[in-house]
Amino acid sequence: MPEIVLSEFAGLSLPDWIDALIRIVFIVALMTVNALALIYLERKILARFQQRVGPTRTGPFGMLQSAADALKLLTKEDVRPTSADRWVFELAPYFAFVPVFLVFIPIPWTETWIVRDLELGFLYVFGVLGLNLVGVVMAGWGSDNKYALLGAVRAAAQAISYELPMLLVSVGVILIVAARLTVDGGSAFGAVNLNVIALEQTTTPFILLQPLGFAIFMIGALAELHRPPFDMPIAESEVVGGYFVEYSGIRWSFFFLAEYTALLLLVVIGSTVFLGGWNFPFGEDVGLGLQVLLTIAKTSAVIFILFWSRAVLPRLRIDQLMAFSWKVLLPFSIVQVLANAIILAYGGGEWIIGITSLALLLLLIGLVYGRARTLSRGAGRSLNKQPARPRLITAHDPAGGD
Amino acid sequence: MDGVGHHLAFWSLAVITVGAALGILVSRNLIHAMVMLILSFIGVAGLYLLLSAEFIAVVQILVYVGAISVLMLFAILLTPRAARDNAETAMRYPGLILMGLVIAATVFVALETDWGAVREEPVAESARIIGQSLINEFVLPFEIAAVLLTAALVGAVALARRDDEDIDAHEQSLTLEGREDSGGSS
Repeated sequence: MPEIVLSEFAGLSLPDWIDALIRIVFIVALMTVNALALIYLERKILARFQQRVGPTRTGPFGMLQSAADALKLLTKEDVRPTSADRWVFELAPYFAFVPVFLVFIPIPWTETWIVRDLELGFLYVFGVLGLNLVGVVMAGWGSDNKYALLGAVRAAAQAISYELPMLLVSVGVILIVAARLTVDGGSAFGAVNLNVIALEQTTTPFILLQPLGFAIFMIGALAELHRPPFDMPIAESEVVGGYFVEYSGIRWSFFFLAEYTALLLLVVIGSTVFLGGWNFPFGEDVGLGLQVLLTIAKTSAVIFILFWSRAVLPRLRIDQLMAFSWKVLLPFSIVQVLANAIILAYGGGEWIIGITSLALLLLLIGLVYGRARTLSRGAGRSLNKQPARPRLITAHDPAGGD
Repeated sequence: MDGVGHHLAFWSLAVITVGAALGILVSRNLIHAMVMLILSFIGVAGLYLLLSAEFIAVVQILVYVGAISVLMLFAILLTPRAARDNAETAMRYPGLILMGLVIAATVFVALETDWGAVREEPVAESARIIGQSLINEFVLPFEIAAVLLTAALVGAVALARRDDEDIDAHEQSLTLEGREDSGGSS
């Protein structure tokens, strides 16, 4: 067991378990504050997009609205439907919440502020984040509610489909990092360490080398988080509220906490992998305080874009969503990975990677735009034509005819 | 393995793994069994971690828990009779025989193995070593596994694909239903 390096701000040499405890408390506090702040900001930002003012009554500028909501949720009655499967229903929020909590471990907030610097950080993040889905499916099934079950099935289908392109475009980045590490005479081991990935972006953030990768990663993040335009699993007009319809009070708030924490984490990971995380964009060595500010600035910018997309984009249909992932994003990300591998293997410069990626991104945008144009033109001509039947949710009732 | 922490971790992980595995056998509900299976997988991943095989542990979680178990859950949710109790099956006695054989093999291996602790240091950079041996030493099994997976994929598509006539008839019935519904409800 190697000696545990203590965090900068602790300053004292403490036993392992006290050190771990401090870090856990720190993460829990960060999680809570983050969820409260993001909910408030989302309501305010959405309100501005819709020409409203949002919450104003509680506290200055309505800033205590989230805290008031949290208090209300804590004091609400915890209702369980009589026909629900007791243990599955009651344990589901924890299965959804704990994995998200565990993802905090390898996140590099600055060069040294990491809970534990895991060598396999990136793999770990996606491995653990996938567990979240077990809680979602348990909630949907345990509630004994058709809408909850449909929401859970949709969430599972969506998460499985969008995780693949997300992981593949990240492999593209990891290939570049690995190539650089081996050029320096070292082994490629450590290329999946999030901190090493951030460290490699002192001169150019990877978004310049992999614009397509960043676009696909963010689309995948939207889908993984069930955020509009990919919010079919929790779409109020279709499945009432999705997998957590039957939940109330503190259990419901656990799902909410998990959702907003996952939002923060996926965005931090995205900005670490593609925007350089704590690194200054174009080659400046900056101190510790500024590194945190850079992380926060990049993360907030991306979160703002996600809120923005919620305000302006309409919801897709579930079959369109699945088709978009499997027929468009997945081929594009595979082409991206293969192109990176071939260029790097034959010693092409990194600028070639950037150009191919940009060309692929433009092709993707053109494809989507052209498809949208033809669809909207076709819709006017043949109004009586049947829309494509959703292929995933077939005519079989997944609830098993109850 | 030394230190109280290691022993504590090992025994709690062992209890979780074996207990959850027993739970799979005992529970009569498919979803309960799945949740138990996931717990058992997580316990095994923890045991890998204790053996300093971080890469295998992470891949165990990523593949077995994150992908395979979720796909199985997904399949169960899409199966019409999944909610029914998992009580009787015609394969009971063949299953018992198979179980006896597996138990016999496990006991034989457990008794034959030398359980002395390995004195060597745990391998650092296990991912690199695994990757190198996969494409050097064990490239043939690796390729055969790839072919097998491709065959499984093609087979699954062939099984899931219905004939065109069926699809037409199915869609016709759907549109008829849709019309009745829209006439009745809205």
